[in-house]
Amino acid sequence: MEKQVEVPPGLIHFAMLDDVLNMARANSLWPMTFGLACCAIEMMATGASRFDMARFGCEVFRPSPRQSDLMIVSGTISRKMAPAVVTLYDQMPEPKWVLAMGNCAISGGPFKFPGQYGIVEGVDKLIPVDVYVPGCPPRPEALIEGILTLEEKLRGKRCFPTVEAR
Amino acid sequence: MSIDAQSVLNETFVLNLGPQHPATHGVLRIKLTMDGEYIVDAEPVIGYGHRMHEKMGENRSYAKFLPNTGRIDYVAALFNGHGYVGAVERLAGITVPERAEYIRVITSELNRVASHLLWLGAFLVDLGGFTPLLYCFDDREQILDLLESVTGARLTFCYYRFGGVCNDIDDDFVAGTRSFITRLRSRMPMYDAFVTKNIIFRKRVEGIGLISAETCRKYGATGPVIRGSGVSYDVRKVEPYSVYLKFNFDIPSFTECDCMARYKVRIEEMVQSMRIIEQALDSLPAGPIMAEKVPRTLKLAKGDCYYNVESARGSFGVRVVSDGSENAYRLKLRSPCFSNMSLFRECSAGMLLPDALALLGSFDLVIPDIDR
Amino acid sequence: MKILPLKSKFEAIAVRGTPAPVVGAEAGAPVPLVNETPHATKGIDLDVTVSAERVVEAVKILDEANWMLEAITGVDWLAERQFEVVYDFTHVDSGERVTVRVRISRDKPELPTISHIYGGANWHERETHDFFGIIFLGHPQLIPLLLPEDARFHPLRKDFTA
Repeated sequence: MEKQVEVPPGLIHFAMLDDVLNMARANSLWPMTFGLACCAIEMMATGASRFDMARFGCEVFRPSPRQSDLMIVSGTISRKMAPAVVTLYDQMPEPKWVLAMGNCAISGGPFKFPGQYGIVEGVDKLIPVDVYVPGCPPRPEALIEGILTLEEKLRGKRCFPTVEAR
Repeated sequence: MSIDAQSVLNETFVLNLGPQHPATHGVLRIKLTMDGEYIVDAEPVIGYGHRMHEKMGENRSYAKFLPNTGRIDYVAALFNGHGYVGAVERLAGITVPERAEYIRVITSELNRVASHLLWLGAFLVDLGGFTPLLYCFDDREQILDLLESVTGARLTFCYYRFGGVCNDIDDDFVAGTRSFITRLRSRMPMYDAFVTKNIIFRKRVEGIGLISAETCRKYGATGPVIRGSGVSYDVRKVEPYSVYLKFNFDIPSFTECDCMARYKVRIEEMVQSMRIIEQALDSLPAGPIMAEKVPRTLKLAKGDCYYNVESARGSFGVRVVSDGSENAYRLKLRSPCFSNMSLFRECSAGMLLPDALALLGSFDLVIPDIDR
Repeated sequence: MKILPLKSKFEAIAVRGTPAPVVGAEAGAPVPLVNETPHATKGIDLDVTVSAERVVEAVKILDEANWMLEAITGVDWLAERQFEVVYDFTHVDSGERVTVRVRISRDKPELPTISHIYGGANWHERETHDFFGIIFLGHPQLIPLLLPEDARFHPLRKDFTA
């Protein structure tokens, strides 16, 4: 086990201001266009006309990591790609969050088999992940639910109704 | 220290495009040696999406590989499935019932239209026009609704089985497909006025990215790339498979060899696909959707065979080498994007960088199809 | 029928003599050298086996007749200690397919490149080298294509363990 790095708590706490800042961050998450494989198409569909992620504030897909705060890892991470993923994560400014979309980003997905030589079994082996969205690929509604879960994590409470199963 | 003016003019610099880049359609990296805005040499570096499909073909049984086929080229997943089940059926001598063949053709052609619509949106985004993406995705969602009602999936289909298909189509699907075709036909003039006649789009793609037919032959480029260079090569016509011989459709090809020609080929292909779907729905026979007596665990005879389909991106081929056991001895997937991409280095020398991106967009690449 | 004029040219250079084991053939049987095969059951029209020294000649015959290179791949026959390299060609006018096969020893897997005749062979040979370790002599840039740049393993060999 590596030694856990102690992150010192903030020197000054502004309770109300923290809440306002967190609400602002939750309502305007800027994702980075990081489509790796099949899940990228469902991410595009989520941002397109029918499902429209812009309703939840995630309209602005920034190509550059320096201008984004949410990295949606959509697709399989190959061992050749792993250093690039870590570099992009390091380039993102704080505060930043990671959403692992799809089975490949969670655990290697359908490409995990004994004797595999090419993929990293889950993006959380490289970078810390905040929300996991399972599916192969997850439906756009599932991705939106993942975004809302992340917003709940930021805000402390959920602003949108939960879809009840009938 | 003085800088020689001549040496400054001769300097080139290396620019890295990707592997994370909005215009590379996935994880593609291109090492560009640039002279100002002009490309001196563009070396594509691939392999960032290598997911070991051919290795997985060897260490699992034939049926267990079926879900993989949906993930090779996920935008046009049914074609990969068709190629794989076709190769296994050819080697095993399984005959597919006619209704299943018609259903395969209908769903494949719907997938082709969906794939071209996605390409159209993405191509325009590469060139800087974001709006057509929203229109194209709207039409594409209608197709995905139809395919979801029959296959259960939106993107990575695993619908074909050895000997047929796993689920039958019903009247709702037939009625929905007919109304979709009517709707898309009425929207084609809108796309024509919005995109094809748009002066900014035309200036970006006309005369850009010339690829000769001889280059296509040397590199094995197929699909809209070779049809945009004047050669009417389509596997459905020259090497017919399934029931394509029964339908009347044209193979569009244009002789200009530029990005506009490849664009027009794909638009026209969507129109021809709708013709095929209508004819198939009109003459859909009744009957079983699966061949009888297909064993649960297939063991093929020793030998090898090749099967070719016309995917949305080009000619997709599967070579199965069997040694008589449950798993394939060797499974080779011949992907169209691999061959199409390989001519990028030769064709992009001397181009401006934005023109090279237009050329890349006109190839219609799906990077996991290159990397498999 | 575009394959007819090719048959006699291939018969002049195809493998003779010592048979190499072929899947499905009985041990000791003569190697099928130039075989017309039914397209409906095999997917190919002409199946040609040549030796490693004659690959470039065979490919030149196809290039002069305007055939298109589709794919190059390898098969690892571990039991016979051989690699088989398979070249697939097709003709755009007729849709016929010609397959050229070469058998090389697994202990010294080398054969000449065809990338100076067909530009597309550049990437196909790099991929075959990645997966099997086959060396294509004269290839301008035989570095990993699909595997990481520093990879020194060949995953599709039958004795590969991760």
